[in-house]
Amino acid sequence: MKLYVKSLSMHLKSMLEYKASFIIAFLSQIMVFFSYYFIILSLFDKFDNIKGFTLYEVLLCFSIIQFGYAFCETFARGIDRFDRLIISGDFDRLLLRPKNIFIQVLSSDADFIKISRLIQALIIMIISLINLNISITPLKVITLFLMIISAIVIFFGIFLLAASYCFITIQGLEVRNLFTDGGKHMAQYPIGVFKKGFLLFFTFVIPYAFVNYYPLLYFIGKSNNVLYAFTPLIVFVYLIPCFLAFKLGMKKYQSVGS
Amino acid sequence: MRFYLSYFKLRFITQLQYRKAALAGIATQFFFGLVYIMVYLAFYESSSNNGPMEVGQLVSYLWLNQAFFALIYMYYKDNEIFNMIKNGNIAYELLRPKKIYFMWFSKIIGQRLADVALRFLPVLIVAFILPYPYGLSLPSSFLSLIMFLITLTIGALLMTAIITLYHVLTLSTLNEKGITNIFMALADILSGGVIPIPFFPVFLQKIANVLPFRYICDLPFRLYSGNISVSDGLFQMLIQVIWFIILVLIGNVILKKILKKVVVQGG
Amino acid sequence: MSFIYVNNISKQFKVVKRPSGLKNAIRSFFKRDYKIVDAIKNVSFKINKGEIVGYIGPNGAGKSTTIKILSGILVPDSGTCKIKGYVPYNQRDKYVKHIGVVFGQRSQLWWDIPAEDTFDLLKNVYDIPEDEFIKTKNELIEKLNLKEFVNVPVRQLSLGQRMRCEIAASLLHSPDILFLDEPTIGLDAVSKQIVRDFIKKLNKEKKITVILTTHDMADIEALAKRIILIGKGSVLYDGSLKKLKSKYDNNKYINIITKDKINIKNKGIIKKERTNNGYKFIIDSKVINISAFLNLISKNATIDDVEIDNENIDNIIVKLYEEYKI
Repeated sequence: MKLYVKSLSMHLKSMLEYKASFIIAFLSQIMVFFSYYFIILSLFDKFDNIKGFTLYEVLLCFSIIQFGYAFCETFARGIDRFDRLIISGDFDRLLLRPKNIFIQVLSSDADFIKISRLIQALIIMIISLINLNISITPLKVITLFLMIISAIVIFFGIFLLAASYCFITIQGLEVRNLFTDGGKHMAQYPIGVFKKGFLLFFTFVIPYAFVNYYPLLYFIGKSNNVLYAFTPLIVFVYLIPCFLAFKLGMKKYQSVGS
Repeated sequence: MRFYLSYFKLRFITQLQYRKAALAGIATQFFFGLVYIMVYLAFYESSSNNGPMEVGQLVSYLWLNQAFFALIYMYYKDNEIFNMIKNGNIAYELLRPKKIYFMWFSKIIGQRLADVALRFLPVLIVAFILPYPYGLSLPSSFLSLIMFLITLTIGALLMTAIITLYHVLTLSTLNEKGITNIFMALADILSGGVIPIPFFPVFLQKIANVLPFRYICDLPFRLYSGNISVSDGLFQMLIQVIWFIILVLIGNVILKKILKKVVVQGG
Repeated sequence: MSFIYVNNISKQFKVVKRPSGLKNAIRSFFKRDYKIVDAIKNVSFKINKGEIVGYIGPNGAGKSTTIKILSGILVPDSGTCKIKGYVPYNQRDKYVKHIGVVFGQRSQLWWDIPAEDTFDLLKNVYDIPEDEFIKTKNELIEKLNLKEFVNVPVRQLSLGQRMRCEIAASLLHSPDILFLDEPTIGLDAVSKQIVRDFIKKLNKEKKITVILTTHDMADIEALAKRIILIGKGSVLYDGSLKKLKSKYDNNKYINIITKDKINIKNKGIIKKERTNNGYKFIIDSKVINISAFLNLISKNATIDDVEIDNENIDNIIVKLYEEYKI
């Protein structure tokens, strides 16, 4: 862990070597990601609800997912960009070191520019919360907290799966975008607005629904089922097979090589 | 001309080697198409007021958008060109007996055509098979199909002209990040690639209509489904061609100026 | 048992066949042909503690596959490998503390920050105690003469300076074995000399075992008493450099400074060339030994001065490759 924190500070140091371009990139990220919000805002300009969900409910849903994604892109970039590590051969270098390989991969990269999106998501989240008029109870605070954490966990898991795939081949990694980008696009709307098949897939195969659908229903008062408040915990279980896949990939890599 | 075509062939062969990437691309485009159609349909079903486009036209628009995605998106950088600019290998490019502008132009359009060639058919076929309201409808008339094909082609050229111009500007500022990035993101929105222009708030529709970007995908896709009539389309096609010519000229003039400066400075 | 013990290791890879042309590209889009390639085949050798071994061979001979197996990155298909009592690829976590690896073509230093910051990170990676770390670091800085640039962002260093920092980074945890993969590639003469001297000293003082792969035969000549030659995945020669040289060392380069004209033809003279102050000969000393040759010359001309050179090592290696058809 100490190693990870130390690496983070070094990554930051590296980035600040190019101060001007860091600031410009930081600002441009916010603008670039505006287009995602633009779709929602435009549609709500023409319509007043989507299957009973209002603008701020959808924005809350979206900002939680964006937060989790931006968080992982910032702090788990080493796993996100694992393909680069394999291609450049730097992964071999990490194997030559006597530290847990997973921590090393995690430490190998960090992208502080993405923090701009983290902040952007936070702001949207706060705006939505203010406009939603929700009677705050301790359990609802916990629910919101669990939603945010599970949003981080789910992307972490998907990144890990994609990284495991890189051990076999780095070709066709674009399929990862289906689950990160595609999932992200989808989960920006309450998943209940989609057809059954999608809902089931993103409940049981990649559990986005437990991140920001079932708990959201409880949070905004569409459901009184207290169990929904704790569904984000299921996402943690999902991490186990992801880790196992990574372990398996490691084994394969050492027998086949790059 | 043969020389420029060879760029396309080379890119196409390169692309063929990455078959998993092609499959993944098809799957992604298909998935995104479905997700967006479901979102729009959910909005249509939830509201008593009608949306700005007919459902059938909208769904066709969204499928064409996915199928020809590689031909329309603006957020694109050619790494080869960028590296050349950064490490100064651009000097080699100056030695070749072809115009740099058109070399870059071919490079970019070659890449994008190779991308689209592998992907559009599977997406279109599946989209045609899907049942109402998810499926892609047939073009509203034979004439509108012809118009669609022509404007899509000119649109692809226009897209390439804009992206080439963007690369040319990078050469003069040597800064690929920042403002140009924002510009490309805005261009993406204003082309109608993110969301169809009829869905824009009214004041933004007005802005989008006077800029060149909408002629890249808004025009051909709406022509296809009859959302824009053939007679209106003819006039807009003329504007499309004019924009293309203007942008190519601007690109060439700026590049000439920049290169002169490079030569004066002794490289 | 030896310090490094490699017995009969083999490794195969599957590669995609990719013929050129559009037609073939389209065909292979739908159907791929593979072929199996032996990267290394039945490679065996033993190395004792404190040896410096040059591991040489042409590109694609299997050098880096061997190094990857020895350093625990790759598991061989068959055979055994034991180093310092460890099986590298099975006990990677414990084993790698004892080795240092320098890849001449890759960098482990952080590009945008000073090398010393990377050193600091490596302290945590290898759990080096603070006092020991400072001691080793200072020693390395002094011996490799890094003082002036260890605090400068790596991207601003020259290649030679960077390589010296790379070597220091690989030695901070005081390994017993050092793998050097083309450590002098692209360096200027002075930097090369510094690197070679340092490795020599290191080997002498710390008894560190060094395995060196390189294409620069001057590296081998300066450092390695023993070489292992690998070609097409198999060990072709394992023995002293001297023996190898004597086998091919019949050719002598003789430079004669004279004002007279020499007009001789004899068996054993391979080449004769006029220089601006005399002649240059290449002779086969098996056919005509040097004193007989000089005798012959002195009958024809007055010799002002004479220089005798051995066949240079690069040519020997070329001959060796030719002989083994690799």
